[in-house]
Amino acid sequence: MIWKIILFLLMTFVIIAGIAFPIVPQPSNWYEFPVIPGLEEKAKIIFFHVPTAWLAVIAFLMAMVYGVRYLKNKNLDEDAKSSAALQLGMVFAILATITGSIWAKFTWGAFWHWDPRETSIFILLLIYGSLFALRSAIENEDKRARLSAVYSIIAFLTVPFFIFIMPRIMVGLHPGSANDDTSGPVVDFKMNANMQLVFYLSLIAFTILYWWMWKIRYKSIIINENLVKK
Amino acid sequence: MENGFFGFLESNSIYIVMFIVLVVWLGIFMFVLNTDKRLKAIEKELEKEKSVLKEN
Repeated sequence: MIWKIILFLLMTFVIIAGIAFPIVPQPSNWYEFPVIPGLEEKAKIIFFHVPTAWLAVIAFLMAMVYGVRYLKNKNLDEDAKSSAALQLGMVFAILATITGSIWAKFTWGAFWHWDPRETSIFILLLIYGSLFALRSAIENEDKRARLSAVYSIIAFLTVPFFIFIMPRIMVGLHPGSANDDTSGPVVDFKMNANMQLVFYLSLIAFTILYWWMWKIRYKSIIINENLVKK
Repeated sequence: MENGFFGFLESNSIYIVMFIVLVVWLGIFMFVLNTDKRLKAIEKELEKEKSVLKEN
């Protein structure tokens, strides 16, 4: 129960800080953020957009881990956990795409540019979207679990490349691209300490929320499967 | 005092956005909390059924 209270308080703080903390030229208090030329208030997206992308990666990683566990012990509960993680991963990947796209409209002038970061998340959505098509096409639950596990392992191998490598080595518009020499809201240790504090608290809050949602989702899948078997 | 507070909100509209998002967050939190409670109750019920079936 304590972690639920911690989650509530952390997220409340992140919302207040992420929206209402002022942006000033020279921050002198812990509750002030620096001006990032060209972005100003729009830099605050980092507290809400990046955690959704982070959760998509965590969810796809967990889908792979529980896929491996299913292949080891053939327990369908592991498949339910992998499936729940996949569903949430997809939800958060879509949220990251939508929030990024809205931000892009007001920062770069259009909702979509086929920037390396946008292209990579689009390909990831296609890869994981295919997995749902695969799962829904197989009726036998053991076969479905086995193929899904193998697919989620192979699919995750592409995630580090599409999320962490490709958008950083290619020239693009997104902060953190190879040609980015500005002080954009890049997730690194050059980020202002006040922003870092709120950003990392945001990551923690979103991760706890994800873990809670995942638990509820996989339990409901297991219950549903048990009821269908009856 | 009330006029002063609303006057403050009118000239600093970002705080209105903040309050709206906080209300949305409270709603989502209460919904997930409630779903979690209901799921635990169903799990208990199913466990009871299982143990009754085993006894018989």
